[in-house]
Amino acid sequence: MSPARRSPARRSPARRSPARGSLAGRSPAGRNPAEPLPGSEISPELARVAGRRIIVFSPTIRFRLSPGDRSLVVPGDSIVPGMPVAERTPDASLVDVGRLWSPVANDRTAGPSRPEKLEMAADEAPTSVWKEVDSDRAEAGWNSGPSQATKAEPAAKLPPRIVAAARDERRSPPVPGKWWVGGDERREKSVKGKPAVRVGGTLLFETHGRWRAAAGERHLVVESPVAGVVREARDGVEITIEVAGAALPGAIAAGEPSRGYLDMPRLTDGDLWASALDVGRSGAVVVAGSRISAQAISRARAMSIRGLIAGSVGQGELRDLAASESRQKASLAPSVPFGLIALDGHQRRPIATPVLALLAALAGREVAIIMDPPLLVFDVAEVPLPELPPDWIRVRSGPHAGREGRWIEPAGLYRFRGGIHLEGAVVRFVDETETTILPVSDLERFIF
Amino acid sequence: MISQPRAFFAIDYGSATTSAALLGQVGGRWRLIAHTSAPSSVEVEALLTGLLNQILQTDPALLDQLAGGEGEDIRNFVAAWPRLTARSTPQRRIAVLAGSRRQRRRLENSALRAGWIVLGGSADEDDLVALSRLVLSRDTNAVLLGADPSPAGDEKRHLPDLAALVAAATHLRPELTVILAGGAAAFEMAFASNYDVRPNRAAQLAGMPDKGPVQTKIPALVTPFDETAGEAPAGEVPAGEAPAGEAPAGEAPAGEAPAGEAPAGEAADATRPGPTIPPVSETPTAHAQAPAAADDVAPTFVAASIPVAASVTAINSAESHSSAPHVLLAPDAEAGQPAGSSLQQVLEGLRALKNDGRLGVARSIASLAYVLDRSVEVIEVGLQGGLRARSEPVGQGHFGIVSSHACLAEASFAPSDPSEEVVDGVLAWSTTIQDRHRLIDRLNDLRLTPWGEADGDGAVFRLAAAKAAVARLVEATPEMAAYSMPELLVAAGGIFSSLPPSVVALALADLVRRAGVSHLACDQARLLGPIGVIEDEAERRSLLANLADDILVPLGSLILPAGIKYGRSAGHLRFKGPVSISEIELHPGAVQVVDLPPGSTAKIDLDFRDAVRLSDRGHHFSVDVAGGLAGLLVDLRDIPLRMSDRPESRRAALAAWQRGMWPEVDE
Repeated sequence: MSPARRSPARRSPARRSPARGSLAGRSPAGRNPAEPLPGSEISPELARVAGRRIIVFSPTIRFRLSPGDRSLVVPGDSIVPGMPVAERTPDASLVDVGRLWSPVANDRTAGPSRPEKLEMAADEAPTSVWKEVDSDRAEAGWNSGPSQATKAEPAAKLPPRIVAAARDERRSPPVPGKWWVGGDERREKSVKGKPAVRVGGTLLFETHGRWRAAAGERHLVVESPVAGVVREARDGVEITIEVAGAALPGAIAAGEPSRGYLDMPRLTDGDLWASALDVGRSGAVVVAGSRISAQAISRARAMSIRGLIAGSVGQGELRDLAASESRQKASLAPSVPFGLIALDGHQRRPIATPVLALLAALAGREVAIIMDPPLLVFDVAEVPLPELPPDWIRVRSGPHAGREGRWIEPAGLYRFRGGIHLEGAVVRFVDETETTILPVSDLERFIF
Repeated sequence: MISQPRAFFAIDYGSATTSAALLGQVGGRWRLIAHTSAPSSVEVEALLTGLLNQILQTDPALLDQLAGGEGEDIRNFVAAWPRLTARSTPQRRIAVLAGSRRQRRRLENSALRAGWIVLGGSADEDDLVALSRLVLSRDTNAVLLGADPSPAGDEKRHLPDLAALVAAATHLRPELTVILAGGAAAFEMAFASNYDVRPNRAAQLAGMPDKGPVQTKIPALVTPFDETAGEAPAGEVPAGEAPAGEAPAGEAPAGEAPAGEAPAGEAADATRPGPTIPPVSETPTAHAQAPAAADDVAPTFVAASIPVAASVTAINSAESHSSAPHVLLAPDAEAGQPAGSSLQQVLEGLRALKNDGRLGVARSIASLAYVLDRSVEVIEVGLQGGLRARSEPVGQGHFGIVSSHACLAEASFAPSDPSEEVVDGVLAWSTTIQDRHRLIDRLNDLRLTPWGEADGDGAVFRLAAAKAAVARLVEATPEMAAYSMPELLVAAGGIFSSLPPSVVALALADLVRRAGVSHLACDQARLLGPIGVIEDEAERRSLLANLADDILVPLGSLILPAGIKYGRSAGHLRFKGPVSISEIELHPGAVQVVDLPPGSTAKIDLDFRDAVRLSDRGHHFSVDVAGGLAGLLVDLRDIPLRMSDRPESRRAALAAWQRGMWPEVDE
């Protein structure tokens, strides 16, 4: 086996991490994330090596919403894991809502060639759903619907503020993004023998006094996998949350935001055998080694595992996961959220030993996989940071990708394979006595 | 009394790498002293310090001369010497909406050529919810709604709905910039009160009625996007993770002047007399504030400088309403010469940063064409897109310059989420057998770490990716094929700088195939972008007149005859060197290389067996050629290049041509 493929797990992270020292808890609070750790000053030559931040504090994450989706939180809200933050309408389609009374009930969009039409047709009296205060319905479940897939939440589970917000929303005039509920049931147009269809979604726009909405019958509640403070919430656009805690940045994330306890099984040659993903790991976010295979993804989902963490994931696996996700969403029995995060990229690389050390220290604790941006969030008060010498480097790309060692000195302009002249650096890999000259652009150093 | 600077830095903040050069006054003229580059995440201070340290070790007397006897404190020089900076504008996305597919395609074409990532939809084909999703997506930076000046029935009936949809979207996303092109401008008032039922206090106080949407002068149009993460919005970047080289957000508050105003440094430069004084675009004070501000990754509002388009309506509203949408009225998709160029100009100005390096290259090429008095074409490929620009002197005395250019986001050498066409293109130019999925993984990783694996197999892959990008660029600019072969053909961009010069010359010969003779050069130090941000044309020309020989690394000359017939011999080439005359037989279908070192010139006589087209049609030609690192290339392949459709044969042909120019590839 090539040394470049040597698994970090074969030699345990604790042994391989140089000067790892104690994993004594270090609180992120009170420390500027951009400020280097004491004693970690680096030489100007080493400063030319691209830095990789291992940990970020209080990152801002985002939930993307689409037309038909609404936010259940408002800016300034403090949220905890598991709290509903949004309601999605996965099968949103265009619905002609009709006329809704509005203080600005003029036809702004008819254009100069079309006269304004303020008068309404006799059979098109404005619906009054937005101004009715139907508190009984609101408290019985803001999310009820006929579909089995609908995840109706009883009011008892809802924070009073959300119920109040729903009530206030109904009292507000119609604007784009406003939640709208309608359909046969609300219009008392149910046909005998057929169940009444009730649809909900968000208002899109108004033309000639008539509103259109993106609405559907099915609705899904999105729960926050992290704790934090809502910074922005816009129906149909996005929700941004400032996370309380720290996070490990990744390169790629796919699936859905998920949360579970961090499980770090024993890796074989840096990889996790798919058979190790059994039902005993249900509810876990599993460290899967250097690469995630399609088989491992399928198996993990079947075992109700909440997520996988790996060094890399291929485009083919991501495509398989996306197809599986869309099939799940189309079904009437959605499964638990599943997410995966690749820390380095698409081509196979072992997980960096400082990252492995960090994950090992967090094993058993609750972590969350976030898609946007790709992050592994751990909302723990004390973050155990592995201590590295400032000249510790890792090969990011090239034939030695994944190997780690120490920076010795710059080699100047050097002729590499293919007659390419690049800035070189002399490095000594772990467990080797000989030095190697590598392009500086292939190296990375770690920043905490 | 302010002393004139003897040296300044020219910095090109690319998306993949940051390039820094030191220009100094030596022997009474500006010269390129040294240059270097590093991944964009590396702090530019470290880059400049390293550069000056190298000069200090190599030629301390020169550094002392540039410093004017102010000692040898490198840190002081880094902090004090002026900087001329250009930076790549991150990719930005525009949603193109139209009433009909026909109109949408026209609008998309203008937006594509302006460098936007385009996602389009038309009401006759797409669901309004899908169009709403397009507009409301956080990745969408602007919306272009267009129609014919006199819309026909097929699009007219959809326009009210589309206008209402976009107006409603601006209620949810007030940061969105809306461009109403052509007949869609009639729906301007759809954006009037934008569902705001609250009384406009400012209007009430002033006793004025609500005048509708805020319209600003074009240069003051602002749209938010995050430069720190390229295509990713600001919130996606964790605090403190913004790379220094890619953090104009940090420099913007100090270095960027308010919208519509030039930065202080540049304004000062414009008033300086004398042609040899370099502009100072960034003061040390401004730069010193950069790191601190770079930590703030909140959405940044950056002024976009737009070329003045006469047909653009711009009204400066007296009212200011921070949440009101920015609505811009633009010409229709057919306006301008060539058709669509007016709208392209508006969209390009809206997309690009004030000191956009790619547009800087286009401006530099125009100045270079004047200075060198020859037609110049540049092909630039980067991570966020590509540029093809051409300029040539015209008129009596060649005092006028005609220029045209197109920026394309899809001409990135590593596009995000590569399409099947992109993958096919890379496979078509690859000389190695690659699994399709593995190639996609490599392309995606190239986007993640574009500076990585620049040697060995990585260099071969990067060459294939770069050639595929140039091929997309050439395909998207068919109008350039109507021009004659330029007298000077320049390759620019970090990916070309990292490849051997002979391979770059071959890549140009492979992809820019028009009959003629051209000199080939490479912007190795990536100075065309920074020099192009100098606003004063005379100053730019003056600087380029000093630096043209330094910044353009000569690759050689390319002779590309058209109409070669296959046979045993195509003719002969007689090379008149300074001491001898040599004759070479020309073989159809081959690329023949004649050693001609940089700095040397020669007279070449070409005798073809059959009539071919070079400058014009004939058998005998006599041309002047200049030497370069690759020498003289006589390309006797077909125009356009024809290769086998079978992958094995194609790879073998490419590898054979490549091996002749790049023997080290098999090391």
